[in-house]
Amino acid sequence: MSGVSLKGIIKAYGAVQVVHGIDLEVQEKEFVVLVGPSGCGKSTTLRMIAGLEEISDGELTIDGRFVNRVAPKDRDVAMVFQNYALYPHLNVADNIAFGLRIRKESKETIASSVDEVGEILGLTPYLDRRPADLSGGQRQRVAMGRAIVRRPKVFLFDEPLSNLDAKLRTQMRAEIKRLHKRLGVTSIYVTHDQVEAMTLADRIVVMHDGRIEQVGSPMDLFLNPANTFVASFLGSPPMNMVKARIVAGDQGPVAEFDGQSLPLAQIPALQNSVGKAVTLGIRPEFVTVAANGTPGCVNVDVDLVETLGSEALIHASLQGDPFVIRTETLGHLGMLGDISGFTIEPDLIRVFDAESGAALPGQGTKS
Amino acid sequence: MSSDPNFTGQSTESLVTEAKEALRRRKPGRIERVGDHLKREWQLYLLLIPTILWLLVFLYKPMYGLQIAFKDYSVFRGLAASPWVGFEHFQTLFGNDQFLRALRNTIYISMLSLIFGFPMPIILAVMFNEILHQTFKKTAQTIVYLPHFISSVIIAGIVITAFSPSAGIVNTVMGWFGLEPIYFLTKSEWFRPIFVGTSIWQEAGFQSIVYLAAIAGISPTLYESAVVDGASRWQMVWKITVPSILPTIIIMLIIRIGNMLEVSFEMIILLYQPATYETADVVNTFIYRQGIQGGQYDLAGAAGLFNAVVAFVLVMTANTISKRYSRTSLW
Amino acid sequence: MLNMNLYSRGDKLFVVTNMVLIGLFTISTLYPFIYIASLSMSTGFEARAGNVTLTPVGFTLEAYKQVLSEPLFWSSYKNTFIYTIGGTLMSLAFIIPGAYALSRPQLYGRRFWNLMVAFTMWFHAGMIPFFLNMRDLGLLDSYFGIIIGFAVNGFNIILLRNFFEGIPQSFEEAARMDGANEFQVLWKVYVPLSKPAIATVALFCIVSRWNGLFWAMVLLQDEEKIPLQVYLRKVIAELSDDEEFATSLLSAAYSFETVSAAIIVCSIIPILLIYPFLQKYFSKGILLGGVKE
Repeated sequence: MSGVSLKGIIKAYGAVQVVHGIDLEVQEKEFVVLVGPSGCGKSTTLRMIAGLEEISDGELTIDGRFVNRVAPKDRDVAMVFQNYALYPHLNVADNIAFGLRIRKESKETIASSVDEVGEILGLTPYLDRRPADLSGGQRQRVAMGRAIVRRPKVFLFDEPLSNLDAKLRTQMRAEIKRLHKRLGVTSIYVTHDQVEAMTLADRIVVMHDGRIEQVGSPMDLFLNPANTFVASFLGSPPMNMVKARIVAGDQGPVAEFDGQSLPLAQIPALQNSVGKAVTLGIRPEFVTVAANGTPGCVNVDVDLVETLGSEALIHASLQGDPFVIRTETLGHLGMLGDISGFTIEPDLIRVFDAESGAALPGQGTKS
Repeated sequence: MSSDPNFTGQSTESLVTEAKEALRRRKPGRIERVGDHLKREWQLYLLLIPTILWLLVFLYKPMYGLQIAFKDYSVFRGLAASPWVGFEHFQTLFGNDQFLRALRNTIYISMLSLIFGFPMPIILAVMFNEILHQTFKKTAQTIVYLPHFISSVIIAGIVITAFSPSAGIVNTVMGWFGLEPIYFLTKSEWFRPIFVGTSIWQEAGFQSIVYLAAIAGISPTLYESAVVDGASRWQMVWKITVPSILPTIIIMLIIRIGNMLEVSFEMIILLYQPATYETADVVNTFIYRQGIQGGQYDLAGAAGLFNAVVAFVLVMTANTISKRYSRTSLW
Repeated sequence: MLNMNLYSRGDKLFVVTNMVLIGLFTISTLYPFIYIASLSMSTGFEARAGNVTLTPVGFTLEAYKQVLSEPLFWSSYKNTFIYTIGGTLMSLAFIIPGAYALSRPQLYGRRFWNLMVAFTMWFHAGMIPFFLNMRDLGLLDSYFGIIIGFAVNGFNIILLRNFFEGIPQSFEEAARMDGANEFQVLWKVYVPLSKPAIATVALFCIVSRWNGLFWAMVLLQDEEKIPLQVYLRKVIAELSDDEEFATSLLSAAYSFETVSAAIIVCSIIPILLIYPFLQKYFSKGILLGGVKE
């Protein structure tokens, strides 16, 4: 099995610890995305896996082999860099062949491998060109070609799409996904872009301040964030956060805020938390807009309606905090101006401890 | 063997493997880490060693040899066996008219070079910037940079030829105006003007590159908005160009003062003669004559040490000031 | 640039005056070279009489014949090529690896090693200890002494180190992951990426070697080994010191002035040939070296 296993991985520069003990099991053929804001330690973690940074403490095994003190070239991993690091003085074919030449592969092997990789990535017509004569997307492909030509056990990607424009990024995202399906190589991918994380990953690892906040499938993280950090980091626009208090209602727990109330799911954790200060997490996509006077509706102050074609974003405020609603325009077109509130299914509200930010246990929807 | 109740049938080999594995997995100690680093990066140190060795042999070893300044050096005994004499050589130096004259001349020539030589490249750069005709500008720059690349012997040769009393162009031109020929290079009062003028002629063009680069960094929109405001070219020079390159000017001035003692003595050796020692002899030419030509290594070494220490203090002061200045002025 | 027709009268006057002044300065720079060239192609008689001002008077190549028939001229020319080519290659052999190592963040004691280089730029033991050291090393009167003794200088190391530091670290990392060792990273990635900076350093070395006088004069006594500049100095020193000897050379065809002018022309020509490259790289070089330290 060519998985990667991290046990208590720590990175410290002198007295300053930047990665505080990462535990992670990456399965064979899995595509795992490390995501988090800049400075969260995701790149450092990736570089420790690559062998470009020394591991201060903990254990790293790749394919069952303990590799803490193994040189990068002997770890059988390949990496795609953010700036691609293509050698400007070599043409595409020589860039792809560089690693094979260094490893003294035979000429025939090199030629056939380069051809094959060129084929896979659609680079065959460009093999004689220098990187300077390529488009951004083509350079990106050469960088991937240089990684896959060695048939490593693990691919590492360090924000490979961040230098591309939005349109190309979407396109390359799909290509990386296809490539992974085709080659089936274990991949670890670092990005700060949650859309990339959501679309590419088999599992997402959300990192923050050198720690893992949550690990799970994209939908699991989207629906059941473990804490307010994950909740507000994933999803665009992010989850709305509403400060509230749980009180006992006629039919079960109810969240009270700003003189309004919302019924919550009837689960033990919430029923037992009456009187507790909490933060409600409400996804902009999960609410139903309501016009004036709809029964059971939560009222918000609407500032602005942005129509984006098929959907609209309603920017409002609730208790002085921003509150965003995302709704389809179709069917609501006539009433967009009249909207003053929303309704939501109790099951779709996530309740977090106001102090720790952790989700109260027992909530959740299976994706 | 089987009397051990804990014996579970595990083979010795697997036990050894396990122990080895455990040993391998334990956190490496400090020395082991350095070992790991060297094992991985030894080639880097191999690349560094020749340069470091060279520095030690050719530049640091002579620094150790500076002790000659405190010794009564004898070629036959060698440096190590020569007796210590303390500050005797320094006392001799500061009672030596020739040395004191050289010291005065060094300072005098440096000051002259600074006062007349420092503004020239700045003026040239500003003037070059005001030239709109690109071909003219390129050609002029190509020509004025050239003397920088010409050896001091050739420059001295040109100066000697041009100022020669019989054939030189300077005296020829003076003859047209009915002036008597002057043998400039034997007249001590003419040495400094000729020397400073030559070095300005040789270096001003090339030194303007630094200022031209600073000017190139000025945003064109500043000039465009000045034009819209109705400023003249002359006003733009004083209100935009000069203030914008002021930080560079100040840094260069500090560096220049730091290197004040570095009078190009090679050129002086080529141009001076006993008749002009009075105004031309500087510390380094004094060292050259006393030490290399005269064999008084210890006395000349003491003069060299004095020179090096003063230069070092000047350079370090300049460095500190320029670092502080560039930090506060840029951020 | 702005349209000249839009200028006010004052501005036009300013622009024209400026052009004239620059023109004069340029001519004053160029004139001595033209003067020397003309002198070298004039007859000795006219040169002595001070009749040469702009163009050759009584055109003759006799002075060149004299120069080219002098064996010492040829041997010193040959020596200068040996010192220039050998010295530049030697410098690069030290400086490229050294600067690369100093640019790597993973180098232990990097600050110390860099300080050790920078310190030599601030403090120099001076002429006498350096000379005695060369003598003790047995490097007087030796080709090798001249070539090795001036191989490294702090400014060039720092210039190249700054350039290497400007190359993204990921180039090294990518090559490392591809299995390259340090030598391969340097030779196959960093050197090709740094061609302009290496060219700059090489040109710095070439110029200082070609023009180097003082130490060649001090360290070389053997006439067979002296470079062109030392030979040229001998000729010129004789010209200015020894009037009698100078007069003895006087003939109708050539004089001491024309001969030394001819040697000057011969030794400038190689610099003029590489001057286009010098101009291209030098300005970048001094700016690059000035960035840090």
